[in-house]
Amino acid sequence: MVLIRAGITLALVAAAARVPASSQREPLSTVRGRVDILRSVPAAEHRPSAADPVGAVEPDLLNRRRAVVYFEAAPRGAFEDRESARVSLDQRRETFVPHVLAITAGTTVDFPNHDRTYHNVFSLSKAKRFDLGRYAAGTSKSVRFDRPGIVRVFCDIHSHMNASILVFGHRFFAVTDDQGRYEIDRVPPGGYLLSAWFEGAVREQRPLTVTSDPHAIDLDFTVR
Amino acid sequence: MQTRSFTTAAPPLLRRAAWALMPLAWVLGATAAAAQDWPDRPLTLANGRVTVGGDATLTAGTEDPGYFNFTDYGRSALRLVRFDAVGSLRLTEQVSCLAELRAEGDSGEGHWTAGAYAAYVRVKPWTDRAFEVQAGRIPPAFGGFSTRSYGSANLLIGYPLAYQYLTSLRADAVPRTADDLIDMRGRGWYAHYPIGAEYWDRGVPLVSVFRYDTGVLAKIGLPGDRAEIAASLTAGTLSNPGLGDGNGSPQVAVRVAARPSPGLQVGVSGASGAFVEERVRDVLPGDAAGRQYRQRAFGADAEVSHGYWLVRTELVSTDWRLPALGTPLLTRPLRATSWLAEGRYKLAPGLYAAARYDRMFFNRVPGTAGPISWDASLWRVEAGGGYSVRRNVMLKASYQYNRRDGGLVAVAHLAAAQVALWF
Repeated sequence: MVLIRAGITLALVAAAARVPASSQREPLSTVRGRVDILRSVPAAEHRPSAADPVGAVEPDLLNRRRAVVYFEAAPRGAFEDRESARVSLDQRRETFVPHVLAITAGTTVDFPNHDRTYHNVFSLSKAKRFDLGRYAAGTSKSVRFDRPGIVRVFCDIHSHMNASILVFGHRFFAVTDDQGRYEIDRVPPGGYLLSAWFEGAVREQRPLTVTSDPHAIDLDFTVR
Repeated sequence: MQTRSFTTAAPPLLRRAAWALMPLAWVLGATAAAAQDWPDRPLTLANGRVTVGGDATLTAGTEDPGYFNFTDYGRSALRLVRFDAVGSLRLTEQVSCLAELRAEGDSGEGHWTAGAYAAYVRVKPWTDRAFEVQAGRIPPAFGGFSTRSYGSANLLIGYPLAYQYLTSLRADAVPRTADDLIDMRGRGWYAHYPIGAEYWDRGVPLVSVFRYDTGVLAKIGLPGDRAEIAASLTAGTLSNPGLGDGNGSPQVAVRVAARPSPGLQVGVSGASGAFVEERVRDVLPGDAAGRQYRQRAFGADAEVSHGYWLVRTELVSTDWRLPALGTPLLTRPLRATSWLAEGRYKLAPGLYAAARYDRMFFNRVPGTAGPISWDASLWRVEAGGGYSVRRNVMLKASYQYNRRDGGLVAVAHLAAAQVALWF
């Protein structure tokens, strides 16, 4: 597990060695499939406190069943088509929505507060350390993520709130939908290693060969 | 006469050095263990029915010969090692049990104790309404500081004076005259009175957060989470909570907390309960034995936060009525008032600076030599900060200046460092 965790950091930096170059003339394929999560999904829980016990956290198991499928090494040239994007990680009912966000480096993430209470979004991850301070409902603050890596996000006021942002140096990744499906398109021919990441760790890795004949490739993962 | 030993000798240099290095060792261990995914969230078992959280603080600090930071278990808060495990068992949607086990000792001297700090049943008759009842060994329905967890929510290392500083009063022994009381000014760590328990022992703080009381608490939240009212009926008092009803009458406490806006929380509290224990009243002469000697307390607190700022203030004023037995008589209630203001500013992600100004003063009693405050008034400034190594591992350091107008030591410069870990 330790090796896999260390490996993902390198993977997110995404060295392009051994992988054929891509170009717009090459035939492109689609990789798609499902990630079946067989292990129990940890629900968000308040820290039990004798001094001030609080009620149960509103269940958000669907939000927490997201996995991320990504290429460990991306095609050469994949790093050249970066574009600045803007996405949102909401705070609703003391929960980060979505629980998992995957973005390319250079993306700006907005953190709007849709609750009545203050929130204080922060991260102490090496890939991005930030603290947005306390801010009220109806307002938003943003952070630009320039460095690939895993950024664990928390609220300083509500200890049960957490989310993960996976920052990639390429675009060959996808977050699963409600049914656990994913799809990564415009994949050039070559040999790759795909990883399925779930709740803090790579759970399964599978090799993949994409031929020069454009087609859709089904590749399923199982998280145990 | 029964006496209790109180070790004051300095520990050997080697042992002190070992204790001082423990926080560093712990941090190194934490860093090394980071790759193995130390828990930073509560552990859940049995399909979420059981939730276990933990809180550990390891504090190493300078010696405190003036006993400014001593707690009611005879240890300095600046040298306290504490391990807490809090478990919640959900029996049904409406009923759960909550227990907190605590082990703590002095990082210089030891004096370890362990036991159940809190243990109560929590009943929520309606799952969609913010109403609950707690019964057992319960938290106080009083004050702002008592609702916060020490390791993660206390900005500094020291405790607020109102919740920690030992006055010279005792519930199991009382002075015969005002002079008996005045003789104990500034000696809350080790006091003795002629009526009641014959041994020397520690006095009581205004509000104890080192023991929970026994009783029933009801809490109701208003719609929109804008306000909450808690009321409790307990065996002990704020100063002297306990397991049994040794004072012959329960304490009633009420706290109302409101959040007028997201960044503002205010609270007011009140409590009244019999303070002097029955075994003392039994030996009082004449009419004095039939009376009740109560502790009454009022508290007000506020917290304002925005951006990188957090500011809190809290006032606790309490009075104790004691029997008037001999001249000069203690005819008026003994009052103690404590007020603090503290603030925190986040300098960078994971790094903050904080400071607290805290003072406590006492009303005057008529001694033979003239009126004088019944205990030595004092004030404290504590400044320091914290750095989060990980989300749930924090290093704190602080410096304290204490000044008191009586007692064996009038001024103390103290410093401490702490590692706090929670999950």
